[in-house]
Amino acid sequence: MVVGEFTEEVDVVVIGAGPGGYVAAIRAAQLGKQVTVVEKAELGGVCLNRGCIPSKALITAAHHYEAAKTQPFPGISTPNVELDFAKVQAWKQSVVDKMTGGVKTLLKGNKVNVIQGEAFFSKPNEVRVMSEHEGKTLRFNHAIIATGSRPIELKSIPFGGRVLSSTEALTLDHVPESLIVIGGGYIGIELGQTYAKFGSKVTIVEGTPSILPTFDEQLSRLVIRNLKKYGVEIYTNAMAQGVEETGNGITLTFTVDGKEQKVTAEYVLVTVGRRPNTDDLGLEQIGVKIGEKGLIEVDKQGRTSVPNIFAIGDIVPGAALAHKASYEGKVAAEAIAGHPSAVDYRCIPAVVFSDPEIGTVGLSESDAKAQYGEIAVGRFPYAANGRATALGATDGFVKLIADKQSGVLVGAQVIGAEASNLIAELGLAIEMGATLEDISLTIHAHPTLGEMVMEAADVALGSPIHIVSR
Amino acid sequence: MAVFEFRLPELGEGLHEGRIARWLVKPGDVVQEDDALAEVENDKAMVELPSPVSGKVLEIKAPEGTTAVVGDVLITLEVEGEVPASAQPQAEAPAQAQAPTPKAPEPAATAAPAAAAPTAPAPTAPAEPAREVLATPGVRKYAREKGVDIHLVTGTGPNGKVTKADIDAYLQGAQSTAAQAAPAATADKPAATAPVAAGTDAEPEERVPLPNIRKIIAAAMAKSKYTAPHVTIMDEANVTELVQLRQEIKPLAAERGIKITYLPFIVKALVAAVKQYPTLNASLDDDRQELVLKHYYHIGIATDTDRGLIVPVVRNADKKNMWTIAQEIDDLATRARNNKLGPAEMKGSTISITNIGAVGGMFFTPIINYPEVAILGVGRITERPIMQNGQVVGAQMMALSLSFDHRIVDGALAQRFLNEIKKLLENPRLLLMEV
Repeated sequence: MVVGEFTEEVDVVVIGAGPGGYVAAIRAAQLGKQVTVVEKAELGGVCLNRGCIPSKALITAAHHYEAAKTQPFPGISTPNVELDFAKVQAWKQSVVDKMTGGVKTLLKGNKVNVIQGEAFFSKPNEVRVMSEHEGKTLRFNHAIIATGSRPIELKSIPFGGRVLSSTEALTLDHVPESLIVIGGGYIGIELGQTYAKFGSKVTIVEGTPSILPTFDEQLSRLVIRNLKKYGVEIYTNAMAQGVEETGNGITLTFTVDGKEQKVTAEYVLVTVGRRPNTDDLGLEQIGVKIGEKGLIEVDKQGRTSVPNIFAIGDIVPGAALAHKASYEGKVAAEAIAGHPSAVDYRCIPAVVFSDPEIGTVGLSESDAKAQYGEIAVGRFPYAANGRATALGATDGFVKLIADKQSGVLVGAQVIGAEASNLIAELGLAIEMGATLEDISLTIHAHPTLGEMVMEAADVALGSPIHIVSR
Repeated sequence: MAVFEFRLPELGEGLHEGRIARWLVKPGDVVQEDDALAEVENDKAMVELPSPVSGKVLEIKAPEGTTAVVGDVLITLEVEGEVPASAQPQAEAPAQAQAPTPKAPEPAATAAPAAAAPTAPAPTAPAEPAREVLATPGVRKYAREKGVDIHLVTGTGPNGKVTKADIDAYLQGAQSTAAQAAPAATADKPAATAPVAAGTDAEPEERVPLPNIRKIIAAAMAKSKYTAPHVTIMDEANVTELVQLRQEIKPLAAERGIKITYLPFIVKALVAAVKQYPTLNASLDDDRQELVLKHYYHIGIATDTDRGLIVPVVRNADKKNMWTIAQEIDDLATRARNNKLGPAEMKGSTISITNIGAVGGMFFTPIINYPEVAILGVGRITERPIMQNGQVVGAQMMALSLSFDHRIVDGALAQRFLNEIKKLLENPRLLLMEV
């Protein structure tokens, strides 16, 4: 034992202060628990510091820059558009700081104790916390593991030098002249498109037949069209082989249909997925069962195979999304407080801040067909909506998918301006068991993008006002 | 270096199996001889298994939750030098019988079968098909809080939507016949699941596997009740003096750090009575048709614990003074509740006491702790008016119930025996003669 080491008794310990962990901590505190949060880096986790929030700040800046430069508004001229990227980054950082400061205030306001350090479970009721100079042991009644995930590293293309992960891509001090993105999932598309708008020559290399492979082709098509507008080159069915750094650049070798190709750029960004942070916590030794892909097995309350230890977010099966982590965090905290809460959702929305934005919730058309047989689909274009036209955002559509027999909404997809916000109403509709008729009969304010939701329901019911029925 | 296979040892007389409740070591740990390796739940107690050797843990062969039989390999250890003679190493351990995981299976299986699960895109992966049950998140939560499986509730809203009122109606049992009107989604439940579903109108029920201890209680109770023809006689004792005496003793007890209840007095009275009527401190050897009279007085004290009824034993109660008995009862009860009693401490009683007075109630028909032949049930002490020498006076009355095995003991004998106990409890000074 190190001199000065001691064991502290705590009630609930939460490992990780990301959108899962801090939400779980606050809910547990609200329910009368004494909560200690252990965070090895910054409050807010990847989401606030190296993910959702900073990327959205950069996306917004890129949008304004690109709009001012290439598509000035009719009647408005912006002759000298200049980009001071350092200022953009400083502003992004101020956004991040504001949000993490908010988390700090919230935790303090809920009397949650925060400890800086790395956690390692030594017993089913003890966790060692190591910070730079000291270690201590916390003995707990309940623990919630919320350690999140990190970017997957390709063996043949390790991070470092000119090979970036999303983390470094968000903190570049200049706009690279050129950028290769390996992996055309939502992170790769968001960052690739952002730098393309800032002026980088971007190449996207995707292993599957399409970028955004988890989304319907109708959705990815619009994004591809837009990417091409910014001069982005896209290679699909492409397998990255390796990289070679030269004096002022890096060359990626990849194969398409067995044919080798090379492309050179200032940086290579690898966004091929994320892996759960479950490997350095000592979990297996204390009996926490870890299943496929390093994901922790949990029951409907988030309880692991060690009954007093819970796990939430990216480290348990399901989509690696901040909002899922927050939801699970609340459930786990309530379960610890003895409530009969359970993970019980009909749908989890997913959004991509591409241009145009994508929002989906519930089942896709093909999945709905497989599950329900006959379905009713209603699609309404942005071009037929007044507000969309006045925004100059006529690309995109709202699509509703319902069980034909009952009319109950089972899925929805939106692509276009503010899709990320429009999808919220549709998630609510699915959770509430709303039918197409319910949506159609709900008055939506004019003139708004939201009207398209109502109109899409009308399309599915066969009686739309603002487009002519087939 | 050699590999030592640690096998489940005999845990106590007649105990052939134990459930591995918790491992206290993990692979890689270095243990010394006599270090506790695991907690094993047997019969009625939790015991720690000490390691017979010093060494390094290699592999845990019997996971937590497994029930192991004496001789099963539980864990392997790497030891210095030769393996102790007591263990013969085996080449490869045969496949260990995997115990079922203690977690109850998710009841989700009762839901309408999901149509061939499509390969959903990861970010939108739905947790459950929406058609399963149509209900708002608030109603789903309400059902959870009420312990209702919402799949079993017939929705009366549009499209068969389950409402809060439907949950309430279900709870009141108003829905038992409505189930036939269930929408297609629930109607396609196969009718062949009858043995589990118990009838077509699916009442909400839950299946909880019996813990070991409950199984043992169940077997013991059934054996006693079906073997020994029970008769219970009931009587009241005026324990006004005893109540006073206890009040006087209380501060003295507190000085000694002892919690004094009525039980030590009752134990002493019982011992005095069985000495006078030895037939009550006996058991029947059915095979040889002999009555075994016991010349030792081990009193079982039925104790209520979270895990179930446990009967620790005050041994040789005749040779101990009341302080000792009080202390011992307190200690046994505490350890019974903390699951720390050894198997020997729950064996060998010759007659038992069961006291429900602390909880309430008066007369009852206790079940004999077989193969004993009688059990004394103690109810609440209540202050009541009684007639005494033509006067109505207040008195502290204790309810006594004595169940006995009528094969051995007849009613008159039992009543005489109970009279003796009564006499001693009513005149606690007489207990002086018994100390």
